[in-house]
Amino acid sequence: MEPNIIQLQSLEVKRDGDKFIIPIGPQHPALKEPGHFAFTVDGEIVTSATVRLGYVHRGIEKGAESRTYVQNMYLVERICGICSHIHATVFCQGAEKLAEVEVPPRARAIRTLIAEMERIHSHLLWLGVAAHEAGFDMLFMYTWRDRETVMNLLEGITGNRVNYSANVLGGVKCDITPEIDASIRTGMDFLEERTQHYLEVVTTDAMFLRRTQGIGLMSQEQTESLGIVGPTARASGVARDVRVDSPYAAYPEFPVTMVIDPAGDLLARCVVRVKELFECYRVIRAILDQMPDGELTTRMPRRIKPGETISRAEAPRGELLYFIKSNGTDTPERVKVRTPTLPAMASVAASAVGHQLADIPMIISGIDPCFSCNDRMFTINDPRGNDKTMSWEALRQYGIEYYR
Amino acid sequence: MTAANLLNTDLLNAGRALVAPCTKEAAEPEANRLDVVIDAGDLLDAVAALHNAKWGYLSAITGLDQGAEAGIIEVLYHFCDGAAVLTLRVPVPRDAATVPSLYGLIQSVTFYERELMEMFGVTVTNTPNTDRLFLPDDWPDGVYPLRKDFDMTQLHEA
Repeated sequence: MEPNIIQLQSLEVKRDGDKFIIPIGPQHPALKEPGHFAFTVDGEIVTSATVRLGYVHRGIEKGAESRTYVQNMYLVERICGICSHIHATVFCQGAEKLAEVEVPPRARAIRTLIAEMERIHSHLLWLGVAAHEAGFDMLFMYTWRDRETVMNLLEGITGNRVNYSANVLGGVKCDITPEIDASIRTGMDFLEERTQHYLEVVTTDAMFLRRTQGIGLMSQEQTESLGIVGPTARASGVARDVRVDSPYAAYPEFPVTMVIDPAGDLLARCVVRVKELFECYRVIRAILDQMPDGELTTRMPRRIKPGETISRAEAPRGELLYFIKSNGTDTPERVKVRTPTLPAMASVAASAVGHQLADIPMIISGIDPCFSCNDRMFTINDPRGNDKTMSWEALRQYGIEYYR
Repeated sequence: MTAANLLNTDLLNAGRALVAPCTKEAAEPEANRLDVVIDAGDLLDAVAALHNAKWGYLSAITGLDQGAEAGIIEVLYHFCDGAAVLTLRVPVPRDAATVPSLYGLIQSVTFYERELMEMFGVTVTNTPNTDRLFLPDDWPDGVYPLRKDFDMTQLHEA
């Protein structure tokens, strides 16, 4: 099916006087995160769209200029609550390149392992959100229940459910013990079986297909020229994946196969993400089977020699790019972060045109947007059984006391 | 690093040839990267050359303030193709920072340009949308947070 943009542009000219602008957001129906969209509609049909972001802008790039590389590890990990590990990994890789430090193979493998588990967590979360927007809440609840499996495994490895803090400059700080190895394998077996079921559901359920098939179409050419990345691009037939194009961490040893679907609609975006889950399980098992021995960290200088670097990685939502400039001190001169959601926003503006207003929540969530997360409550799961819940203020005070 | 072993020399050379007419200086700061310094006046020609040859995609625009003493802001346009990253580096004077918009070639650029305008005070000519993207509506005019001399007192005064 061809996107009916051209046809609608003539419609727009014809009925210029009858256009309405519908503001959606910052609190909006598609996500529990703030973003503002203004859709110009002709009747029920969207004719153009604009985006306004920044409702949770925290000045992280500026903040990074006054923190040391070590402190920045904790800052960049908090850019996103879902793909926190990949932010820390990209930042580490950039700093390590500038310092000309080689990370031990075992550390690279563990970074990759956690990155793939993070992708499982992110894709399952997204599938739930997409199902919820389509009015399929049972699928939403099942996927989020199953997502707990991978969250628990991540907590088992690193001690944290979201901001894992697995990376240090020059390596990782957590190891994969034989017990963890066994629990990951059990978890992957369970998830693989469930994912098989989800693939069947999203491709056969008549109601879900009505909400996804032929909706939010983006052609390969459009996707290429808009510079869209990640699963959204791969669902329009664009072969773009940093893990394949420019393998980092342990991807040279454990290559992934790109999942590509030429259809370019919401259904393709679902199918690509679900099929990528199988790739995650396969790569995770391969890493566990051939986990290199050796050290977890290597020595990293505190001051990093002057230079500029670009560090890229494939986050769950696509290419994440960091530009880091060092000036010879222990604090970076400039840290630029381009997250995959920013180019994906352009796809909302492009693919919404010509669709019913009611399709907009699905189209917005179809790119898997991630504005940011800001949590104020922390629960500490202590293996000794001293679980406690702390407020933000209590946690802050605890932090001050701890480092006094 | 193992990743760097995978070199895209051919891609980089193709990119280098495409922007050669506009190039003032070129450097290869690390594996798979080419840094090309060009004038703001040549920017559209260089981008058109890459775009028409379908060399990669515009991945990001980085603003880089060299400080009040140097009096220069650099605008970096990062194009990615496979493992190769080609950066067009456009130095502009800090007190009259102006670059042309790439909107005529790459429509999605407006997000990056809006960010560049509000964070660095770089004027982007002929861009269709000059609204703020990230900064709040009540942020004072003429205060650019990612410039090196920005400090919070500027906000309080405004």
